[in-house]
Amino acid sequence: MKRKTQYAITLLLALVFVFVTACGSSNNGNNTGKNAGNGTNAPAESENLEPMTIRFASGDVNANWDDNQSDIGKFLTEKTGISIKAEFPVGGTDADMFALMVASDDYPDLVMPKGNIGKLVDAGAMVDLRPLIEEHGPNIKKVYGEYLNRLVWSADDDAIYTLPLDLVGHTYFDAGGGFQLQHQVLEATGYPEIKTVQDYENAIKAYLEKNPKTEDGQPRIGMSLNGGEWQILISVTNPAFYATGAPDDGEFYVNQDTHEAIMHYQRPEEREYFRWLNHMNDVGLLDKESFVQKYDQYKAKIASGRVIGLIDQNWDYADAENALKAEGKFGATYARFPVTLNDSYQDHSFQGTGYLSGFGVGITKSAADPVRLIKYLDYLASDEGQVLVNWGIEGKHYNVVDGKRVIPEDVQAMKSNDNNTFKKTTGIGNYFLSARYGDGVLDPTGNYYTTTFPEQIQTNYSEADKKTLAAYGVKVYKDFWPADDAFPERKYGAAWTLPFETGSKANVIFQKTQDIMKKRIPEAILAKPADFDKVYDAFLKDLEDANVAELNAEFTKMVKDRVELWSK
Amino acid sequence: MKSLTATDVPQKGTEKKRSSVWKRALQQRYLYLMSLPFVIWVIVFAYVPVWGWITAFQNYKPKNSFLDQKWVGLDNFVELFGDERFYLVLRNTLAMSSMGLIVGFTIPVIFALLLNEMKGQFFKRSIQTISYLPHFVSWVVVAGLVSKMLSTDGGAVNQLLMSLHLIEEPVQFMAKGSWFWGIVTLSDLWKELGWNSIIFLAAMAGIDPELYEASTVDGAGRFRKMWHITLPGIRTTFMVLFILSIGHLVSIGFEKQMLLGNPLVTDYSEVLDLYALKYGIQMSRYSYGTAIGIFNSVVSILLVLIANGIYKRVTKESII
Repeated sequence: MKRKTQYAITLLLALVFVFVTACGSSNNGNNTGKNAGNGTNAPAESENLEPMTIRFASGDVNANWDDNQSDIGKFLTEKTGISIKAEFPVGGTDADMFALMVASDDYPDLVMPKGNIGKLVDAGAMVDLRPLIEEHGPNIKKVYGEYLNRLVWSADDDAIYTLPLDLVGHTYFDAGGGFQLQHQVLEATGYPEIKTVQDYENAIKAYLEKNPKTEDGQPRIGMSLNGGEWQILISVTNPAFYATGAPDDGEFYVNQDTHEAIMHYQRPEEREYFRWLNHMNDVGLLDKESFVQKYDQYKAKIASGRVIGLIDQNWDYADAENALKAEGKFGATYARFPVTLNDSYQDHSFQGTGYLSGFGVGITKSAADPVRLIKYLDYLASDEGQVLVNWGIEGKHYNVVDGKRVIPEDVQAMKSNDNNTFKKTTGIGNYFLSARYGDGVLDPTGNYYTTTFPEQIQTNYSEADKKTLAAYGVKVYKDFWPADDAFPERKYGAAWTLPFETGSKANVIFQKTQDIMKKRIPEAILAKPADFDKVYDAFLKDLEDANVAELNAEFTKMVKDRVELWSK
Repeated sequence: MKSLTATDVPQKGTEKKRSSVWKRALQQRYLYLMSLPFVIWVIVFAYVPVWGWITAFQNYKPKNSFLDQKWVGLDNFVELFGDERFYLVLRNTLAMSSMGLIVGFTIPVIFALLLNEMKGQFFKRSIQTISYLPHFVSWVVVAGLVSKMLSTDGGAVNQLLMSLHLIEEPVQFMAKGSWFWGIVTLSDLWKELGWNSIIFLAAMAGIDPELYEASTVDGAGRFRKMWHITLPGIRTTFMVLFILSIGHLVSIGFEKQMLLGNPLVTDYSEVLDLYALKYGIQMSRYSYGTAIGIFNSVVSILLVLIANGIYKRVTKESII
């Protein structure tokens, strides 16, 4: 009996020991976390520059991120003591990254969650920046100015969770989208007018017939679309808006008078646009792998100089184009045109939105020292900070000549011709983390805040760009597009910035329509022309079966609510 | 285990029985103590998380505490079983995993059998090493290789078929939904063939050489020896692995499907885990994702039990 009790006690002791260590360690973890927070909090009040590393999770992959090792990065670390460790989505999408973050309740200090901000707010992970800005963010306040009320989360919750990265007072001097054609194509075909899809198709066809192979014997590709991954939205479905005279409102077409929203594939005009893509496939001008290829395959194709035409945004194909430039193959880089289905449409890419309070940077509840972070962001938003992130360091990346900021030739050459290396070594373009002014806004010294202004854009162009533009008698690609004031401003901004409530019914329906679209649109484009209508009808039927009507109604309500909130 | 249960002890009243169990436990107290950490480890990592299943019956929101969660009963399951996409992804999952199971067991066994017959040790070892190296290559890389090989744009497979005049123009392998299962199975086979055969080779090495000598005396040829000695010799190993694999039929992961898939073949490439990711985690519907997880686990346990039951009935042996 005695031994039995002894045995039982040993067992008990062992168990207790295990639990005590388990609980103990988790308690310790919490304590150190809190202490660290308090510890850095106090000195920060007196502008402490004590080194601090913060975690920053960005939903956008930046392959040229420099870990504060670039010129600007080192300068910022010296100035503020803060160095940033960035995390990007790996493999999956940004949606996974932030959903897992919420599920594991482990947040970095700073986040740029793109469309996933709703998840973080619903999980109570975001810090309300309003009081912080009031107290520590005079520059941030100044930059947003009258638009500060557009930062408000919703009608029910007037907190500010993110500082939108959209540029304030921005004027578009150049256009990054449209339909792209290689400069060599335009030169060989005598710089024809490129206004409709027919013109575009003719140019590709004429060039491909004469030059079926590249100099090194590889077959050329008429046009390729980046349709194998999420960029199907950018390269395949958004152009359907532009080609049929509507602005990009995400996946919805919003009637500008009534603010009624429908899923944009339901517009009869867009069916005709997809029919044209179907035709391009039929005549063999469309890359058969458009919907199968991965992003890197797509970029590799472009970088080989074999693809005659693209329909994409400059930021999506820029890496590949930069590779072409680095190799000196300027003829294979691209000119951009606003192409529409026929003469009756105008490209609405630049229809005004007012200040677009879109995706931004926010501070999470796990941030050790929110005050120091907001001060960091405020510094980036100051005049000095904005010049730094846009222009670089004086004497190194720009000089002031007669009161004007000028970029030295060698720096400019590297920027135009080898932008990837430029970004990584100088850090220019990597630290756009806070409020800042857009192109065309002048600072107190009478210089532009950004490096994109009419004269600078032209210096940024390669010789091939300049030659093409001169042939068409325009200064910048933007001149091909209708003027900014050609269309009335959209009262709701842009509908793609409207977040769905997480896990709501509308959100589930939306996800289903996206799955249907990703399958049916490629199917319709690759079908035999005779079957196109059959497939497209089946697509619309699938959408209806997924209850798209309810989604449209819900989205209409969201648009109307936004109009009301913003016109207050 | 059996010797520890009470059935072996003579039935002389409950008092006696209990004390004898305790006595034995006492004798083996150090063994018990030594296994204790592992028992706790299993409890902490395999049973405590099951507590999370409770979220499947709630509308779980991360910011609310446990008591503030809204209870929704079986709503998540009703929605899951009412979604036709669920049946589609279930079909894809089962199709790909069964194909993988059949191919992934027969071919490595045949490969191991052939290797086992090899004379030259050096040659045998080299082949073995080379064949299991792809196991260590990440799926990301494999997916890149496969899509490049099958590309219409200068892909090796298409060029080979063209030069043999078997096809007129390049075939879009990756765009054909009905071929997707085959592509996944074959690339999986390429990657895991050598690795899977290692364990069979090891089992074959353990067969008593005297059996072979005896059969040589009896005049058995190579194939007779393979059939009557080698194969029965690895039967238990084979069955254990096979039944355990059956348990993984519904949870085959999603890397292959995600990396090799594309919009054109989603109707064939989307598997349960991918569905749980898309409609569960990505949309912050943690409860819905958990419901799918529960379904996965329950089906897996059932499958293992059924497979073991069949095996037991046929051979009168039990694996688990």
